[in-house]
Amino acid sequence: MEREKKKVKRTPVWVGVLQGTVRSAGAKIGAILLAIIILACIFAPLIAPYGVNEMQMSERFHGPSLQHIFGTDTVGRDLFTRILYGGRYSLALGFCGAIFSTVVAIFLGCIAGYYGGFVESFIMRILDIISSLPAILLCILISSALGPGFVNTIIALAVSQVPSNVRMMRSQVLIERSQEYLEAAETINCSKARIIFKHMLPNAISPMIICLTMGIGDNIAMAASLSYIGLGVQPPTPEWGALLSDARMHLMSYPYLIIIPGIFIALTVFATNLLGDGLRDALDPKLRK
Amino acid sequence: MEKQGNEFLEVKNLCVEYTSDKKIVHAVNGISFTMKKGETLAIVGETGAGKTTLAKTIMRILPDPPAKIREGEVWLDGENLLEKPEKEMTEIRGKKVAMIFQDPMTALNPVKTVGSQIVDCYLLHGYSNKDEACKKAKEMLELVGIPVTRFGEYPFQFSGGMKQRVVIAMALACNPELILADEPTTALDVTIQAQVIGLINDLKKQYSASMILITHDLGVVAQTSDRVIVVYAGTVVEAGERNDVFLNPSHPYTKGLFSSLPSMDKKVRRLTPIEGLPADPTNLPSGCPFHPRCPQSTEKCRQGQMPVVELEPGHFCACCNLKHGGTADE
Amino acid sequence: MCRYIIRRLLTMILILVASAFLIFTLLYFTPADPADAQLGISATWAEKEALRETLGLNRPYAVQLGEFMYNTFIKFDFGKSWTYGTPVFGELMTRIPRTLTIGIGAMVINLAIGILMGIFAGVHAGKWQDSLVMCILMVFIACPNFWVALMLVLLFSAKLNLLPAYGIGGYEYYIMPIIASAVAGIAVNARFMRNSIVEVFRADYITTARAKGMKEKLVIYKEMLPNALMPTITNMGRILSGIIAGAPVIESVFSIPGVGNYLLTAINQRDYPTVRACVLFLALCVSLIMLAVDLAYAAIDPRIRAQFSKGGR
Repeated sequence: MEREKKKVKRTPVWVGVLQGTVRSAGAKIGAILLAIIILACIFAPLIAPYGVNEMQMSERFHGPSLQHIFGTDTVGRDLFTRILYGGRYSLALGFCGAIFSTVVAIFLGCIAGYYGGFVESFIMRILDIISSLPAILLCILISSALGPGFVNTIIALAVSQVPSNVRMMRSQVLIERSQEYLEAAETINCSKARIIFKHMLPNAISPMIICLTMGIGDNIAMAASLSYIGLGVQPPTPEWGALLSDARMHLMSYPYLIIIPGIFIALTVFATNLLGDGLRDALDPKLRK
Repeated sequence: MEKQGNEFLEVKNLCVEYTSDKKIVHAVNGISFTMKKGETLAIVGETGAGKTTLAKTIMRILPDPPAKIREGEVWLDGENLLEKPEKEMTEIRGKKVAMIFQDPMTALNPVKTVGSQIVDCYLLHGYSNKDEACKKAKEMLELVGIPVTRFGEYPFQFSGGMKQRVVIAMALACNPELILADEPTTALDVTIQAQVIGLINDLKKQYSASMILITHDLGVVAQTSDRVIVVYAGTVVEAGERNDVFLNPSHPYTKGLFSSLPSMDKKVRRLTPIEGLPADPTNLPSGCPFHPRCPQSTEKCRQGQMPVVELEPGHFCACCNLKHGGTADE
Repeated sequence: MCRYIIRRLLTMILILVASAFLIFTLLYFTPADPADAQLGISATWAEKEALRETLGLNRPYAVQLGEFMYNTFIKFDFGKSWTYGTPVFGELMTRIPRTLTIGIGAMVINLAIGILMGIFAGVHAGKWQDSLVMCILMVFIACPNFWVALMLVLLFSAKLNLLPAYGIGGYEYYIMPIIASAVAGIAVNARFMRNSIVEVFRADYITTARAKGMKEKLVIYKEMLPNALMPTITNMGRILSGIIAGAPVIESVFSIPGVGNYLLTAINQRDYPTVRACVLFLALCVSLIMLAVDLAYAAIDPRIRAQFSKGGR
């Protein structure tokens, strides 16, 4: 009986979300765009016409042409190739940072929200300290403290995102905690872990899915900013921000070196935001047009 | 169009629909009725029968993208409200026709003081002097039974019943000729309901206004109205003087409504509910909209429009099983 | 209200203390050695050790932390730059007006354009105007601010030769940094505003206002706006703090000698007193903005105002 009831309760939410997401044109465009970018980056070795670090000193600063569709950079490397390979870093930074911060946030948020009392205050006070600095500043500070590098950048991105995500998760859990189905679960002697993860989580998790999607885009942009100001991932790694940082001296003379990678960053962020918006509309019917 | 008869309000064949997600919701399907000046007309029906839509159509405050007035006319004092330009309409709204809303909890603007919301009514209709408008608003507040000291308070500081009083004060501020009361008591406690109904009734008499009272509470209808219209799925199924309808309900739906009420004088074990669900307004049944739930439905009920039978003078009923004899065969 | 302000001020101080602690701890446990950065790789071990001794870096964590906290919050002394030996505070004071000019300028643009666009989109919700504005805003959000800055430089300095590309001087030097800082915030603000307008649009009290005979324009500006502005104002603080905190990036693009640029230089030179002071200063600005927003919110929303006029919770 109880199981049947749960089934009835759960399916419509997900089916509805999925249908809503698919129905919204924006989400469709976002998903397709993101898929194309991700696939292109995964299959970079197959698509790329040149080697990622292949320098042709004779062909430095060639503008976009048939031979090099996006042109070549300061030391004659093919920009298109570097963008494809760089996407791997940028996307990985975005995804890893967002997933890491969301998972941590779900875990901490559930515990803080469900147990309350001392555990909650402890977690929340620590987060208060972390979030006493604005996210961007914290990110700059952490990545300067840890030093440049791929993993360090992921940590910096994730940590600066955790507090706001935990707060959102916790508030969601607090809403769910007052619902009667949790009391019902307690009366049939469910274990705490089961109540939290099997009963409460599926109902409280939907905002976190939005957070995760939006976080990917935010992280890619933030990572690019970090690389640009000389923190985060450093050249010659072809991460998109690093490409920009590499070419910053040549803005006036060879603007395509700045314009093209920037467009890719913007496109990717645009795609994740469209997808996130679609998800949000699907999850929150109030805002649906 | 020539000038309409001497009826105060005449609604003719009104059709309103909503579009949502490519579905068309037929909210009002050809409602016609008339009312005389000073009368209280009750419109009775289930949730979703199109009563609120009807009232909002008369006020012309339906949100336009989803809602669309397909056809029909609303004549008030010889003027078709549906053809009036918006600018003239703003002068009629609140001044000549006023509306009391269903849910007092949400009908007041949370960030404006109660007083200023009443003052607005005066400022919009004729009063240009703010002090004078304030004075009038305070009098109005007293009239609905709220102490003037609470003039500057915000809606969240008021209880539900108090808020409804404020809503009533706003509606009656400019001595409207027609009051549309849209389920004014549904959201209130039972004890407060009687007070509010009493208040509305007194004020209506005091201002000699006419009133359309929308409700699904037959008790309220019995207490206050002169005439009754029973609405089902956006169509009028029965209309008549209160006593005619109450003593001789003829349409199977009206009968169903009455038999689902507890009665003091008859000893009935169980109440008889109306079987089935309200008609789905996106997919109305053909013929009589009530036939899927009607205990006496026949093949005839599925086809065409229902004939309107005048049972007694002024008592109409739209049912095809009524032709022989005054009332449907049991 | 007074109690509310005092309480908010106390929380602000607590937040600043927390951030000072966080900054100090993060920098203390940094793997890189500040002495290396100050003296260069050619320095001998003895030289470095001597420097560490003079800078007090050999003392335990707790002692250093205590001294830092004491100096910062009791004596308001931000110390001397390790690289230049000059007091950090003075340098900050000459730089802070530039950062704030950009920040405040961006805020003003942000509020004005963001809210207007939001109202426009919200009032036309579901029509093509709405879709158009939302599309533009999506592009605004997607573009990283430093890239927008670079594109602005390309357009206005390189192509049109209208505005100076970098440095500081007259007001024209601030135009591009302000726009670049504001773009993302405008988008967030406008979307917030639009959604709350859409929500308020359907509220019953709007129908009430229409039923009173109010004209549509009046309904929008007098009934909807005060309600729809509430969530936008709460969100405002976050956006503004983002602008201020984003100063390092924008200032680095335009080579503006503001606090952000000072911070980046100091980070590169591992000049920790300067880093700490810069971050704390930016955090202070953000806190002050948050405070102002909260107070403005309390002043506007009667629900909160009433809560505190009755003596507070």
